[in-house]
Amino acid sequence: MSSSSVEDIPEQCRDLFTQDGVLLKSCMGRPISDLNSIGMLCIVQNVDSSKCIEWRPNDLITIDSDTQDQEWAVVNTIGRRQRTLSGNMTSDYAAARARIIRIQLNELKTFKCSRNNQQMQFSTKPGVWHNTFYFQHGNAEIFVANLKNHVKTAKTRHDRNTYVVVEPNVESQELNRSFAELDIFTENTTDVVWNFVHNFKQRPYATTMEAFSKLNDIVYYGNEAVNGKRDVTEEVADLLTKSMSALEDATSVTRSDEYEVINVKPTLPPRPCIPRGTSLSTEKWEGLHDTEGRITEVEGVKQLIFRGGVANSIRHSVWKYLLDYHPWTMTHAEIKVLQKKRTEEYFSMKLQWRSMTEGQEARFSEYRDRKSLVEKDVNRTDRTHPFYAGDNNPNLVILQDILMTYVMYNFDLGYVQGMSDILAPLLLLLGNEVDSFWCFVGFMDKIASNFDMDQAGMKQQLLNLQQLLMFASPELARHLAAKDSANMYFCFRWLLVWFKREFSHKDIMRLWEVLWTGLPCANFHLLICVAILDSEKDVIMHKDCGFTEILKHVNDLSMCLDVDRILSTAEGIYHQIISAPHLTDQVCVILGIPTVGAKPEEPEEPEVPQAGPTNGNAVTYNPDMEEVTLEYNGLQISVVTQTVWALLA
Amino acid sequence: MAKTYDYLFKLLLIGDSGVGKTSILFRFSEDAFNISFISTIGIDFKIRTIDLDGKKVKLQIWDTAGQERFRTITTAYYRGSMGIMLVYDVTNEKSFENIKNWIRNIEENASADVEKMILGNKCDLDAKRQVSKERGEQLAIEYQIKFVETSAKDSLNVEYAFYTLARDIKAKMEKKQEASNPPGNRSGVHQLKDSDRQRKPTSWLSRCSLL
Repeated sequence: MSSSSVEDIPEQCRDLFTQDGVLLKSCMGRPISDLNSIGMLCIVQNVDSSKCIEWRPNDLITIDSDTQDQEWAVVNTIGRRQRTLSGNMTSDYAAARARIIRIQLNELKTFKCSRNNQQMQFSTKPGVWHNTFYFQHGNAEIFVANLKNHVKTAKTRHDRNTYVVVEPNVESQELNRSFAELDIFTENTTDVVWNFVHNFKQRPYATTMEAFSKLNDIVYYGNEAVNGKRDVTEEVADLLTKSMSALEDATSVTRSDEYEVINVKPTLPPRPCIPRGTSLSTEKWEGLHDTEGRITEVEGVKQLIFRGGVANSIRHSVWKYLLDYHPWTMTHAEIKVLQKKRTEEYFSMKLQWRSMTEGQEARFSEYRDRKSLVEKDVNRTDRTHPFYAGDNNPNLVILQDILMTYVMYNFDLGYVQGMSDILAPLLLLLGNEVDSFWCFVGFMDKIASNFDMDQAGMKQQLLNLQQLLMFASPELARHLAAKDSANMYFCFRWLLVWFKREFSHKDIMRLWEVLWTGLPCANFHLLICVAILDSEKDVIMHKDCGFTEILKHVNDLSMCLDVDRILSTAEGIYHQIISAPHLTDQVCVILGIPTVGAKPEEPEEPEVPQAGPTNGNAVTYNPDMEEVTLEYNGLQISVVTQTVWALLA
Repeated sequence: MAKTYDYLFKLLLIGDSGVGKTSILFRFSEDAFNISFISTIGIDFKIRTIDLDGKKVKLQIWDTAGQERFRTITTAYYRGSMGIMLVYDVTNEKSFENIKNWIRNIEENASADVEKMILGNKCDLDAKRQVSKERGEQLAIEYQIKFVETSAKDSLNVEYAFYTLARDIKAKMEKKQEASNPPGNRSGVHQLKDSDRQRKPTSWLSRCSLL
């Protein structure tokens, strides 16, 4: 076998070509613990001037390599195991060296580059892929191009991505070619093709297997039945390609010399459909205050708001709490004092810029630039809304004053486009300059990284979004990657102003107040993105949208989205993710939930009596328990606390 | 899918925030003007197919956010653009001075042979003018770029500007085609070939593998 552990690396080997970001996905005869580790794929010249392909795990490579700038790269989400290191460094190093994989070029028979240049497979024996590598950056074609400089290859006739090495072994070359030239449609007529297509639609797996069995027949019993040329329409080709990749995606194959284990890849549990609740009402809100005005059941209130939002009549009050202007624990009296203090603070900051003379301004270009930027944007913020419409609208002046005062409040950040979008709905609802300013400050504290000078915060979010999508909707994520859209730039507007441009005023208030609760996890706004994209998945994938069409489609979704449906979907996706058996640490970190490894051992839960009918979906409530559990299709969802349940009743 | 055009040109509008890039694009694509525009966040594009010397030319025009902070995102879209409109506001001195920075930005991020044109927008606002037409012309001569003053509001020279840029791209492309040996369509029509390739499904057998 060609791929063998290498105990010691000959010192005079020379790297002819190296490529980083290559993950070992499968390798015959290697323990599972060796798989899914990241490394470098090289073409190496041995001492005797023969050449080989060599894969080295990253543990062997020193960190100083700066070629691995992955900032904007497509990052795969194959669960990368964190190796637990034991023993000292030298034994780790030796262990890492033992994990090197080598394939001598004179033994290489075939190789294949598939999945949009994300995967390469190598074979030294016909029909068996010994090694599979995953290219994080989707750039396997570069390796193929270099490899072709060292071996003479021929493409197989029917699979453009499979290459046969022609030089060394003529016998195996013949065999490989015959594989490639096989024709699985033995009966010739187009009826067969259409039957095939029909069957694919009805029962893709069975049909694929049938096709493979035919292939098998041909291999064993010859190919006499073939007459005439295949005439497969492009539509057929498309369907076949899709079914193939669906099958590939759904299974993974572990091979050893004697047997094969075909596993079904872990899939997400079914998505629960969690209905939205009713909004927090005036009565409930008032009932939540104690006699002096404190709110003690903060988590409960947030749960309620997360479930159903806030009634419009009390928004002006509730938002001040959600945006950290009014602390939950303060009494009415304390809040009064605080308000007075904040009002004075606001006007003193406002005076700072209001008292600037023309001369000062003329010598202060940075201030001048910001002022003109604010003016420009205020004049084009929500002007179609009656509150901001018309010439000389006084509300525009307030909008401008708040933004200018914010420049003085946070001069480092200053004014960045998008901030006027964030402020406009706050002022519209609160109507009061000082309140709007401090609520704006609270909102900005939540999303300040969106406006980083170097846009690092936005880049990180786009990357996190890509990773979440890869977990929650891998098919779509792969499609986007194939269409040059893995950077998720088309979601930039969504994230920068928290969907302000995508929803009506009424709906954005609902969405924002739900997101401000910080429930049910960190970065829930990214799951909102996932929910929207997932519901557009069919359009994006069926139309075979390219880079430009994807951007256009996403931009055109503005004002066509249903906020309640999206919130419900996003919550469903959240529950799917956290109950997935293959949940990765990476996803946990993004969502701010304890990582899989760090999960404390859960004690066996006492059986909860089933209250509902036996359709599998039930709401159980036990007054002694802190949690109310909603069961849906076998998924247990803890929804509200005891107190909130009482409030709901 | 039947092709409804002979050429596809990707164009880009850049310039400081608030100079009227979106208004120019709206005027050209919809022949309309709206006083209460919203600022552009991220990036968007519009399409208009024009007739140029008997050829159908599909213009895909990209509109970008002007603020410097978003440049890392917007420059990602420079790639592959064949023509760039550099826009300043004649009532805003600073936006005119910044044209030089934008040109440098193009040199760093766009392909070297991209066609360029400078537009001095809002020329209807004569009372507020800070940059004279002569200064615009002078700058254009300095960089050897075509120049025109426009008004998206009054629909002045907007059509002319896009037609001129498109015609220059077409001329350059056809010149390249002639230069590259026989009448084969080689280097010049990259964009077109790329988009063709995108639409074609890959051969079905390319995904067929022995499990």
